[in-house]
Amino acid sequence: MRTLRSTPITLVVTAFIVIGLSALITLAVVSNPGHSGSDARRHPLTIIQSGWGLGLLAFEVLGVLVVTNEYSSGMISATLLATPKRLRVLLAKVLVFTLVVFVVAEVMSFANFFVGHAVVSAYPPFPNVALNGHNVLRAVIGQGLDAALVGLIGLAIGAILRHTAGAITASVAVLFVLPLVLMALPTSWEQPVEEYWPTEAGSQLEQLTRQPHALTAWWGTGDLALFVLVLLVLAGFALVKRDA
Amino acid sequence: MIEVRHLTKRFGAKVAVDDLSFEVQPGMVTGFLGPNGAGKTTTLRVMLGLARANKGTATINGTSYQQLRAPMREVGALLDAKSYHPGRKARNHLLALAQAGRIPRKRVDEVLEFVGLSEVANRKAGTFSLGMAQRLGIAAALLGDPGVLLFDEPVNGLDPEGILWARTLMQSLAAQGRTVFVSSHLMSEMALTASHVVVIGRGHLIADSSVEDLVKKSSGSVVRLRTPKDELLTPRLVAAGATVQANGDGALMVSGLEASAIGDIALAAGVPVHELAPQEASLEEAFMELTRDDVEFHAQQAGARP
Repeated sequence: MRTLRSTPITLVVTAFIVIGLSALITLAVVSNPGHSGSDARRHPLTIIQSGWGLGLLAFEVLGVLVVTNEYSSGMISATLLATPKRLRVLLAKVLVFTLVVFVVAEVMSFANFFVGHAVVSAYPPFPNVALNGHNVLRAVIGQGLDAALVGLIGLAIGAILRHTAGAITASVAVLFVLPLVLMALPTSWEQPVEEYWPTEAGSQLEQLTRQPHALTAWWGTGDLALFVLVLLVLAGFALVKRDA
Repeated sequence: MIEVRHLTKRFGAKVAVDDLSFEVQPGMVTGFLGPNGAGKTTTLRVMLGLARANKGTATINGTSYQQLRAPMREVGALLDAKSYHPGRKARNHLLALAQAGRIPRKRVDEVLEFVGLSEVANRKAGTFSLGMAQRLGIAAALLGDPGVLLFDEPVNGLDPEGILWARTLMQSLAAQGRTVFVSSHLMSEMALTASHVVVIGRGHLIADSSVEDLVKKSSGSVVRLRTPKDELLTPRLVAAGATVQANGDGALMVSGLEASAIGDIALAAGVPVHELAPQEASLEEAFMELTRDDVEFHAQQAGARP
């Protein structure tokens, strides 16, 4: 990962796009003099973090590529020759990836917050949010944790499916598409499913207060972490049992 | 030493390797021959733990590859030459492998120098020609200075100079007492490189012998004979139990009699002999003879209209 030029490029570009997009959206909302209706009811932190979904997507895709790249390039045979104990390969990938993504995502999340904070401050009438506010720090740190876990979804799905396009499609479906499909279901079905849907549950950590029909922040994160663990166990099983 | 015992590998209903057993001894180059699709690569992949056998075992120095403590220091393998990330520099590719195999960094520059890639070490491996990729693959195999080397079609894509280099390399590795196992479908190449061959077809063993024996066994006794008096000599040879065929270029191909017997008959008949040469089949011919019934993909006869 380190010696590939694409990894740092992906991360840096993602950071700029996410922070830039968040800043633009924040600017658009707060500079609109008639900020009435739904905008006014949104908490400023939610507005500041509005570009984060794109970051999650990028981390998830990176997670997929960390594994599928090896299969598409043929590097996997060299990797497994060097380390024939396959679970060790998966474990190493999980450790390195989690560490890198967690650190980068935390830096991104804080940068995102401070840029957004500065934009909001420029428009005094709009209520701002401080880092020492209730649960604000938790939400900002939580954003990075959520990103690392979502990235691991991508990594696990990549190890199970092996093909870049298929794995990206599947993991984006988990993150964005299926939650949208859920909305089409009758409310009585939608609410319990959405409540426990891993990526929805995991994003509760980014909320300041508990949302209606949602798990609490930490139960939600636990739900996401459990989902990631199950996927990783499946990935480990697939890696060990199948021919490379 | 490599030991393969009753190895069977199926892909769905298709049997790729069928109850295959053989040994590869150290100190010499052993060729692994077979037509395309015979199961050579599958056998190598099972040996290296990349694929799982349905039955049987393949062990290297007595243990399976996955159980080796320091696999890269015991076994070096070149499978698909392009098993690297195309965006990674050649040197970084080897550094990553060296790190995984706990091999000192300076060894990377040594092997790059050895395979002649020092000057392009900082180029992206994706820009390499097939020949350069093969050299990079060989460099990776040699990283851990292993005692057992497996090469799958190592001369593919090499130029004549590269082929000569690879041949000399394999022979010198064997001369150092290492076990060298080289697969190929190029018999002529193996005839020059290997001293022992394992031949498979459709997944099962066809021959496991020294190159010399294989050639001798397949040669039969065909003698090339040239004489100005065909019409006098042919009936006498046939009477002595030989089969005589005209070769088209004026020579006769005589089978069923030793060259000495033919010479004696000619002398007794007072017929001058201009050429009398026992023919040795090439390994190529020996191989074709052996695998005739086991070729996976028969092409239409050359020259036939598709």
